[in-house]
Amino acid sequence: MSGTRRGGPPPGSPPGPRSAPRLGPRFGPLLASGETLRDIGGAVSAIPLTHPGNRRWWIAFAAALALLGVFALTLGYLLYAGPGIWGNNNAVVWALDIASYDWWIGVACGSVLVSGVLMLLEAEWRGAVNRIAETVALLATAAAGLYPIIHLGRPWFFFWNLPYPNTYDLWPQFRSPLLWDAIDIVSFLVIALSLWYIGLLPDLATLRDRAHAEAMRQREVGAPTRRVALLRAQVYGIVASGWRGSAAHWQIWGQAYRTVALLGVLLVISVQTGASVMLAGSLMPGWHGTLLPISFLVHAVLSGVGVTAAIVVTVRVVYGLDALITARHLDVLGRLMLCLGCASAYCYAAEAFGTLLNGHAPERAVLIRRFTGAHAPAFWTAVICLVGAPQVLWSARARVSPLAIAAVGLLAAAGAYADHVMVLVVTLTQDFLPAARLSYAENAWGIATFAGSVGLFLTLLLLFLRYLPAVSIAETRRLALAQAPAAGAAEAARGVRRPEAEPHAGPLWGVAAAFATQADLAAALQALSGMRGGDVHLDGHGPVPMPRALRPLGLEGRSILPYALAGALLGGGAFYALCVYATAYDYVFLIGGRPRFSWPSFVVPSVSCAMMTGCLAIHVALLVLNRLPRLNHPAFNIPGFLRASDDRFFLSAEAQGDGFDAGRIERRLAALPAEAGRPLEIRRIPR
Amino acid sequence: MAQLFAPGADALYRLALMTGLACLVAVPVVAAGIVRSSYVTGVGIAPAQPVPFSHKHHAGELGIDCRYCHTGVERLATAGIPPTHTCMTCHSQIWTGSDMLKPVRESYDEKKPLRWVRLNRLPDYVYYNHSVHVTKGIGCSTCHGDVTSMQMTYRANAFEMQFCLDCHRAPEKYVREPDQVWNMTWTPPADQATRGPELVARNHIRGGARLTECGICHR
Repeated sequence: MSGTRRGGPPPGSPPGPRSAPRLGPRFGPLLASGETLRDIGGAVSAIPLTHPGNRRWWIAFAAALALLGVFALTLGYLLYAGPGIWGNNNAVVWALDIASYDWWIGVACGSVLVSGVLMLLEAEWRGAVNRIAETVALLATAAAGLYPIIHLGRPWFFFWNLPYPNTYDLWPQFRSPLLWDAIDIVSFLVIALSLWYIGLLPDLATLRDRAHAEAMRQREVGAPTRRVALLRAQVYGIVASGWRGSAAHWQIWGQAYRTVALLGVLLVISVQTGASVMLAGSLMPGWHGTLLPISFLVHAVLSGVGVTAAIVVTVRVVYGLDALITARHLDVLGRLMLCLGCASAYCYAAEAFGTLLNGHAPERAVLIRRFTGAHAPAFWTAVICLVGAPQVLWSARARVSPLAIAAVGLLAAAGAYADHVMVLVVTLTQDFLPAARLSYAENAWGIATFAGSVGLFLTLLLLFLRYLPAVSIAETRRLALAQAPAAGAAEAARGVRRPEAEPHAGPLWGVAAAFATQADLAAALQALSGMRGGDVHLDGHGPVPMPRALRPLGLEGRSILPYALAGALLGGGAFYALCVYATAYDYVFLIGGRPRFSWPSFVVPSVSCAMMTGCLAIHVALLVLNRLPRLNHPAFNIPGFLRASDDRFFLSAEAQGDGFDAGRIERRLAALPAEAGRPLEIRRIPR
Repeated sequence: MAQLFAPGADALYRLALMTGLACLVAVPVVAAGIVRSSYVTGVGIAPAQPVPFSHKHHAGELGIDCRYCHTGVERLATAGIPPTHTCMTCHSQIWTGSDMLKPVRESYDEKKPLRWVRLNRLPDYVYYNHSVHVTKGIGCSTCHGDVTSMQMTYRANAFEMQFCLDCHRAPEKYVREPDQVWNMTWTPPADQATRGPELVARNHIRGGARLTECGICHR
């Protein structure tokens, strides 16, 4: 993918003669020029803090709430009357409920995969897309997670699926893909939530600081809303868990984010292949193609990218974020959908080809029924939307058109839904027993349930857009610095050092110095690094990851990977041991002729569980290694420290013993040359 | 610059986090405990009966055989509760004026059965046959406890699935000689390890795989 390369125009795209000057944006930058760190923070955080487009938001929210009401109504009737209301009291036991579940989890998987792969490839432009992709993943998982529960005859006993100490003296059947599914969805929820929250953490701190500044302003002028403003800042403060943007925080954060993304990518593969194995585990024709796991994965990713692209385009238009989400991003999303559309074409063609070539009559019959049977519209919708729609994006003009990108994205998502319906319903409608061939048709309640789950998704999405940053501030700032390293140095180091000797009433916490750029901070830390240890604890604070500050801080070798690995291995191993103990020793039960020790069937849930426990270990490591949460910290006493989440870099030298000599540190800092580390300001900070 | 939170906020926040984590563990543990408690299972709780009938007095001290009243235990699917006539075989002769027995006499006169409070009840989806258990050597006390020591009768075991499975998985641990079935104070003899499998073979009990099939109880 051209966009993953660093800087410059995408080399893979021919600047053909057809590309008229009007298509300039296609080769434009990933970020509008002249964006400073502060502008980026302002543009994004203005959305949750000042709610632009309030009226449109409320109209959309009312519509989403109406759909959510439909969901509540449907679920109420479902609980009263049972799953028979969906019209599948016949051989088609899996219909819209499982299709909806598969579709939602597919959207979630696709979004996680896009966000995770872009992160692992270190695509520096991902900031514009990753937050929305991660949010789509989380909310789609929430919508998906309800289906396995509500499609049960007695949903209130959903926990029977999980291994818990029950009074039946029984274990759930670990050889069954239904159990894999239960473990998968729990793990996926944990991973999606973690990926979303860890990515959000520094941005929450930015929001907290901006809200705090606003709260202080309102208190000074005695505004009537000052208490609400303070409360808002405190709510952001609590969810930000005391993030201070310290160099150590950023280091662990970056590792945690990448590792969770890796776990997420592995889990996506486990979940999607698990979903297809669940079909292959049955005797039904049409569900045994060896390409089925790949086809599931391709369609999942395509629908995930489609939904993400549609939402990215909407957010860009509604909130006027053209400077941050540029035409280049749309172009990249378009290329991605085009590639996946072609992959989808390959999957369909290979399946048809393989089925027609081999001699298995029931498989061929299913294929023909897909083309011509009662549910043929599902097949043709799937092919037209999944394969056909993305072909529009061969046109460079379409790839930079927000409307085209959104339309193709939504069509691809609709196609993926049709594909799930086709795969499930066409096979099931023709039971092996002619007596069981009752007709099935999608009915109003099934559609209402799905529409209601869309309502749940949209309601949560709108709440997210209203209260949280829709574009990753931290990642976009990193991109801004990569494009123009001076983006943060608005006033540069020309500023004069202004040490103010003020009498301190209380004991001294340490000395702080402010810098305009990371380079200055790193130089100053280097100058002080000789004092590190014993009595002085050095740290840097800033709005972006500060890899250059790590060497003088002596933190270079730190890694979160051992914790993640230990968590994953322990969790996965423990789950595998549980499966073996339960199935081969404690609850020996002959089922389907499977051997007592059916080791391969325990691998899938164990992998999913390993991903979940690895992720939990990362959370613990993130908190413990960073000594978080600290809501109240002396570093917050540094004058102007709010800008540490904006465009300033701070050095803190904390007193940790009697040998701490504040004067010596101040003199050392003040003596630094102006172009290499001289601070804008030096302060003594009370405890 | 001002702090957004007071110094005490850290402790509160961490306490809240720890409490949340502790609840995550504690809620299932407490729920599992409640489900197993007598409050839910009713084990050891003697409900009020229309007549304060004492198994300890009749079956224990007087030594009346179980089958004198529960006539069907060896032949029928349910053990059965005796009709008023059974009581009156004796109480038409002794304690005929007792106030305590007034409901029994009224029941007899009016031909209306006494409404005993049932203690041992299995769910409708469990197929259970009383006679096969008794005739294959499972004693009364294995399920019902030492009834001869109960002044007022109570439920001795919660008939949860794990109780049934415990025996169905390893019947040789519980099976008795035929003459011991009615022994209310039976404990496994020292040679149960050898005698159990013998009895299992003699009584054609197919434990383990066969007895743990779902369809054995859930038909």
